[in-house]
Amino acid sequence: MDRMRSDLEKILCLERVSYNYLDTICALSDIDLDIGVGERFAIIGANGTGKTTLLQMMNGLIYPSSGRLFFKGHPISKQTLKDKGFLRFFRERVGFVFQDSDVQLFCPTVLDELLYGPLQLDINEREALDRAFEVMEMLRLENVKDRPSYMLSGGEKKKVAIGSVLTMNPEVLLFDEPTNGLDPKTQCFLVELMFALNEAGKTLVVATHDLSLVDELQAKVAVLSEEHRIEKTGGASEILEDEDLLLSVNLIHEHIHRHGEIAHKHIHSHYLFHRHKE
Amino acid sequence: MANRIPPFLLNTSSPGSFKKDMGKVKIPFIEKGINYLAGVIKKGYAQSELSFQYGFFQKVDARVKILFLLFLIIIVSMKKDLLSEIYIWIFVFLLSLLSRLNIVAFYKKIFFLGLIFGFLIALPSAFNFITRGEMIISIVKLPRSYTFWVYHLPAEIGITKEGIYGVLMLTMRVINSLSLSFLVLYTTPFPEILRALKVLRVPDTFLIIIALCYKYIFLFAKTVENMYLAKKSRTVREPKNREAREWIIERMAFIFRRTQLRCEEVYGAMIGRGFSDRLKLYGFRKMGIRDWCVGFSLFGMGVLLLWIG
Repeated sequence: MDRMRSDLEKILCLERVSYNYLDTICALSDIDLDIGVGERFAIIGANGTGKTTLLQMMNGLIYPSSGRLFFKGHPISKQTLKDKGFLRFFRERVGFVFQDSDVQLFCPTVLDELLYGPLQLDINEREALDRAFEVMEMLRLENVKDRPSYMLSGGEKKKVAIGSVLTMNPEVLLFDEPTNGLDPKTQCFLVELMFALNEAGKTLVVATHDLSLVDELQAKVAVLSEEHRIEKTGGASEILEDEDLLLSVNLIHEHIHRHGEIAHKHIHSHYLFHRHKE
Repeated sequence: MANRIPPFLLNTSSPGSFKKDMGKVKIPFIEKGINYLAGVIKKGYAQSELSFQYGFFQKVDARVKILFLLFLIIIVSMKKDLLSEIYIWIFVFLLSLLSRLNIVAFYKKIFFLGLIFGFLIALPSAFNFITRGEMIISIVKLPRSYTFWVYHLPAEIGITKEGIYGVLMLTMRVINSLSLSFLVLYTTPFPEILRALKVLRVPDTFLIIIALCYKYIFLFAKTVENMYLAKKSRTVREPKNREAREWIIERMAFIFRRTQLRCEEVYGAMIGRGFSDRLKLYGFRKMGIRDWCVGFSLFGMGVLLLWIG
C-alpha cells in the first residue's frame, strides 16, 4: 500500500537501505537519505564505496537487500515497478545518466536516441521531434544528428546520453560520475547545463568523487565512507572544509612535493586545497 | 545556458499520481535471459574468487586437483553402467560437502546445465525410431510404418528401455563431469590453476588464451548487465518481443565492436610491456606430504571406482 509522506517536499527517501553485491559483498549499509524537490544533491565517496549502486537503486534498477525507498511517497520495489501504471509514472519522472555512455546508447542514430523516450511515452511524433530538435540545439548536437553513437567523441556521447534522458522531461536527474573522462570545456558546459536544469525545476542527484564539481554545484552533500555508510550530510562548504572527514573517507590525502629546493607537505585533493603545512 | 532551456523542460510531467490496476509488466524472455546469463557469469566469477575459504579440497595442491579431474573425467567416460555413475556422483558430492561449498547453489547450477546439455540434447534418442529395443512407453500409433531413404518410422512410436537408459547415462556423465570441473574451479584460485597447468606442460599459448578469457568474461558480463540496466531505466511500458530482439541484435554488434577494440588495446598493452609468446609464472610451491597423501588417496578412489560396477 502506498505510503504518502507527511513531508511532500521530499521527492526521494531512503530508509535504512542496505545492499549486498552477489548476496555476499556489502555494497551499502543502513543508508538513510531524504532528497527534496528541486534540490542539488551530491553523493561523494572514494571508489568502491557504493555511489553507483545507490543511484541504481534510486532509479529502481536494482533493489535493496533490506530497507525501503520511496519516490514521492510511493514505495519503489520489484513489485511496484511491475505495475504498468507505476512503471510509467516513475520512469517518466526519474532519468538516469550512466557513467559509461556507450552502454546507454543503443539506437541507430543520435536522433533516434533522442526520440526513443518520447515515443515510448506515446507522445505524438510532431511533439517528439520538436523535443528532440530543441534538446539537440541546447546541447549543440545538430551536426551529429544522423551519426551512430559509436562515431561520436566522448563528450558528444555524454551529451547524447543526457539528451536522451532530457527528451523524456524527467523531474529527477541522476548523474553517475558525469565529468569523468571529459575535457575541461565539456565539463564546464556540463556544470552550466546542470545549473540551468536545476533552475528549470529539476532535482539533480550527482554521484561523484570530483570535489571541484561539488564545490561548483554548491550541492547538499552526503559522504559515503569505505564502510559503505553515510558518514555525514551537509552543505557543500561545510563538507569541503572538513578536512578530517575527507581524509578519513579517502577523498583527499597528504602528499609531499617540491617547489624548487623546498619540499612541502600538504593535503592533496585534485581540488582547491593547497594549504602548506610546513 | 538558462535561456536556451527548451520550454517543454520547464513544464512538470502530468498528474502527481498514476492509474492503478493497469496490469503487470512482462519482460520478454530473451531480455531476462541475457541479464540472467550475465548474472550467472558474475556469480561464478565471484565464487571462484572466494575459493580461499577453508575446506578439504581448498587445502590440496592445484596440480593434484587437476590430475584428479582429468583422471576422474576419463573414468566417467569409460563407465558403461548407471550404478557406477551414481557411485561417482556420491563420491563427488561427499568431496563438495567436505569442501564446505554451498551445496544447494552448487548443484542447482549443475543440474540446470545437466538438464540442458545432457538430458534435453539426448532425449530424442530415447525414442524407438532412433534406439530400437523394448518399448516401455507408447506415445503415438500411426496407421502404418514409413520409410524415407535410410530412415525408418515405425507404426508405433514410443520410448524404449535401451533408449532411456542411454539418455540417463549421458545425463549422468554430463552431471558428473560438470560436478568435478566446478568442484575444482570453486576450490582453486585461478592463478593456482594456471600454475598447475604450466607445470603439467600445457602450451603457453593455450594458457595465455585461458588467462585473457577469464579476465575478459567478467568485463563482458558487467557490460551486458549495465546495458540491460540502461535499457530498463528508459523502459516505460511493456517491451514488445520484436523490440527486444532488435535491441539484442544492436547490442551484439556493439559488444563485437567493443571486443575488437579491447582486443587491439590489450594486445598493444601487452606488446608495450614486453610480451613474448612465453607465459612466465612465479611462486610455484612444493608439494607437501599432505598433498602426496591426498593425491594417492584420490588416485586409489579413482581406481576403486574404475574397478567396481
